[in-house]
Amino acid sequence: MLLRCLHPENTIEEVEGDLDELYVDSFQRIGKTKALLRYLLNVFTVLPPFVRRRAGKTKYEQPFSLSPDMLKNYFKIAWRNIVRQKAYSILNIAGLSIGMACSILILLWVQNELSYDRFHARADQLFRLTCNAGDFKTAVSAAGMSKGLQAQLPQIKGGVRISKPISLLFEVGEKKVEEKRVFYADSNFLEVFSFPLLAGNVATALKDPGSILITETTAEKYYGTRDVVGKTIRINNKDNFTIAGVLANTPSNSHLQFDAIIPMKTMASWDWDLKNDTWGNFNFYTYLELDTKTAESVPAQHKLEQQIGKIFTDHGETVKLDFQLQPLTAIHLHSNLQIDLPGHGNIQYVNIFFIVAIFILAVACINFMNLATARSERRAKEVGLRKVVGANRYQLVFQFLGESLIFSFLSLVIAIGIVYLLLPVFKMLTEKTLAFDLLDGKLMLSLIGIAVLTGLLSGSYPALFLSGFAPVKVLKGKLRVAGGNLLFRNTLVVMQFVVAIVLLVGTAVVYKQLDFIKKRNLGFDKSNLLYLPMNGELRGKRQALKASLAQNPLTENFSVISNLPTTLETGTTDIVWDGQTIRNQIIFPSLDVDENFVKVFKAQVLAGRGFNKSFSDDSSNYMINEKAMQIMGMNMGNAVGSSLTFDETKGTIIGVVKDFHFKSLQYSMEPLILRLNKWGGVVMVRTTAGGNEQTIKALEAINQKLNPAFPFTFGFLDKDLDNLYRSEQQMGNIFNLFACLAIFISCLGLYGLSAFMAEQRTKEIGVRKVLGATVAGVVGLLSQDFMKLILIAIVIASPIAWYSMNKWLQGFAYQTTLEWWVIALAGILATGIALLTISFQSIKAALMNPVKSLRSE
Amino acid sequence: MRRTYLGEFEELVLLMIAILDGHAYGVTVSQEIEQHTGRIVTFGAIHNTLIRLEEKGFVTSELGGATAERGGRRKRLFKITGLGKSALADIQELRNKLWKLMPDATLKLSGI
Repeated sequence: MLLRCLHPENTIEEVEGDLDELYVDSFQRIGKTKALLRYLLNVFTVLPPFVRRRAGKTKYEQPFSLSPDMLKNYFKIAWRNIVRQKAYSILNIAGLSIGMACSILILLWVQNELSYDRFHARADQLFRLTCNAGDFKTAVSAAGMSKGLQAQLPQIKGGVRISKPISLLFEVGEKKVEEKRVFYADSNFLEVFSFPLLAGNVATALKDPGSILITETTAEKYYGTRDVVGKTIRINNKDNFTIAGVLANTPSNSHLQFDAIIPMKTMASWDWDLKNDTWGNFNFYTYLELDTKTAESVPAQHKLEQQIGKIFTDHGETVKLDFQLQPLTAIHLHSNLQIDLPGHGNIQYVNIFFIVAIFILAVACINFMNLATARSERRAKEVGLRKVVGANRYQLVFQFLGESLIFSFLSLVIAIGIVYLLLPVFKMLTEKTLAFDLLDGKLMLSLIGIAVLTGLLSGSYPALFLSGFAPVKVLKGKLRVAGGNLLFRNTLVVMQFVVAIVLLVGTAVVYKQLDFIKKRNLGFDKSNLLYLPMNGELRGKRQALKASLAQNPLTENFSVISNLPTTLETGTTDIVWDGQTIRNQIIFPSLDVDENFVKVFKAQVLAGRGFNKSFSDDSSNYMINEKAMQIMGMNMGNAVGSSLTFDETKGTIIGVVKDFHFKSLQYSMEPLILRLNKWGGVVMVRTTAGGNEQTIKALEAINQKLNPAFPFTFGFLDKDLDNLYRSEQQMGNIFNLFACLAIFISCLGLYGLSAFMAEQRTKEIGVRKVLGATVAGVVGLLSQDFMKLILIAIVIASPIAWYSMNKWLQGFAYQTTLEWWVIALAGILATGIALLTISFQSIKAALMNPVKSLRSE
Repeated sequence: MRRTYLGEFEELVLLMIAILDGHAYGVTVSQEIEQHTGRIVTFGAIHNTLIRLEEKGFVTSELGGATAERGGRRKRLFKITGLGKSALADIQELRNKLWKLMPDATLKLSGI
């Protein structure tokens, strides 16, 4: 009909209907002829050029790419794909979820490290006063400085002093325990820091010298309840303290970790430093609160530091010191000071692990991309057909992205499960209290963020690549995997293995360094050294103790020294020696030892002699180590017999002892002066191999007899020494774990890829076998491609690993060498694992009967 | 203030759509116009006006309600939009204002 041909297509239906209806209507009213006439007229008016075309919509309405129906469709297809290709899906989801779980764990740890001391309300304004004399950096300052500086410098709004941690014997009823994390603190401690007080009055809690604050846990330990305000604790068998308040447990992310706080006034009653407000003895941690203006500007802080230095010199102190203001929030991660509180982290490790987390996630994403692109040929037909029936590119992109998002969210759910499972293990490994609370909005948000990011990242390449197929070519079956695609995939595999190899080398180097440190000759024999701190009455009964130690053959090989090599931190510059020209500015640590020291520690005397009972004037004589000898400009020949004035006591050098490590190996050798011990400290007992238990029992018996009021404590020196390298040990463990996981994930990907390759080349393999190829030949052929990639990866990874590990090693004064074979070993290991992975598939493919693979043609 | 111009016939059709309240489509509109004004208009004019009104945003339309008498074809039903209503109200108001301005004599003269 005329109308059908000429009327615009999109309104024809309604117009025809209307015309018919009108005709019927007018037919009834005005008769057939007129109706027909009017009908024709009407038809004519809706023909071009009279008719107006309905604008806008194209021929057919294409659903919007993100309409709910399409979204539903994307997810349905994605789900079907996941279910249909089970092996592929399992590989993908396993890789992604392990990768995510790793990253979540690492990020939890990183976040914990970064959160240190940020819970204080005025964290940004608090700074710790630290000082250094040359390379000897310490976290402590003098007792009088806080008050003195506040009086002179308006930028400082307030300050609080905290003593070094001390061990006190707590006694409540029958219970007697030595508490090691007790501090004395100024009365404004709770105002400056935001440690919540659960019971008691913040303003007065630390004012009364006879009072004490304890934490919840401590309260429960002694009383079984938190309602303990007003009760009494007997300390060191002599003083009674009243509990003035109960503190919340110290947050795990605080660098100050305490179980009890005692007012500074208590200490002031007997401490010489506090009584005299000295500026010369560095025994306290001073935290200063700066005004907001100074706290925000680094130059203002530098100016303040210089002012402090000037005030210090003006105060008549002759020691040359530089002062620093260390931000409270930087203490945990950026501290490498001596005489500091234990348990610091290291920003380097935080950075390394953060990067590792990202790498592991990247490796997992790469897996996904690789497998998806490798499979693209299989899905090319699907893409082609979709395009033919009218899908546009965006819809395809959304479809593939949707698919990868489903993968990533499924993996996220599994990853969360893994994290819950592994968290206890990880906590043990890192020795941290990490909380993983899903209900925390921020955490949830970042988890979803990770999932979305992973999904988009890993889906992006397949989405863009697959959606670009030209339908005609694809459906004709002409599509060969483009060279670019292959190159891209190979690059990704290389990247994966670079990461894996670098992590492997890292693990190897960390362990090698730890081993090196543990095995290094410290200059004395550290094994089988048992120690007993002289506390309580033991100090007073020194002679009786020595006598009873000497009586027992198990303990007769003993020495009394002032400090354990793990805790020796103090030193002095107040030293004058023969031939000295300028005042000494180098810190000389000192150790008080007795006559048995050389024998018990198996130290080596290079010149002169050790302390000896038969020389009555040894109490004012000194021994020095080689380093001290060098600093003093002496040599083996003239050192012995020279005079030395230490702390204003003049004496003679009687011996030079070979350098031995009395500090962590992170510090290089420092000079040391040995004095004759006249007061006590720690009893060191050299036990015979295998005789440890009996020796401990013997020591316990002695302690019971002489010191009944104090519980028996002891320790092994070698264990304490090992503890010095705890953070390195932890890092090694974590590194090891994640290196293994990174390799595992890479191998999952490799496994999938090799399976796919083998499948693709089934016919080729069939033909080769028919023509006489051996199984070994075919396996070699299939492995060859991957081997090339791994070799490239090794070449790229080696310099990266070498550079970064050298950087890490530089943090140690004594470092193991990074030899080429470490890298070679890591490379060979990675190659071996990769070969093993590939071999599963390649051997399977090679063993297949060619008849089967060729029959179809 | 710029506004879309509404022609006389357009206004008429728009009024009809408003009156028909959801039952407006080509046939009903043309019947109503014929019934109320006595004017016989071609279907093409109505069809074009409807499309134009929709383009101007005074009405919206959707396909629906196939009946046997139209051979099972769907009709396009029109509904007035908020913009359409306010356009009608504006015109009404303008007319009223102008009527008030008119001197009584004129009215009477013309009323004779």
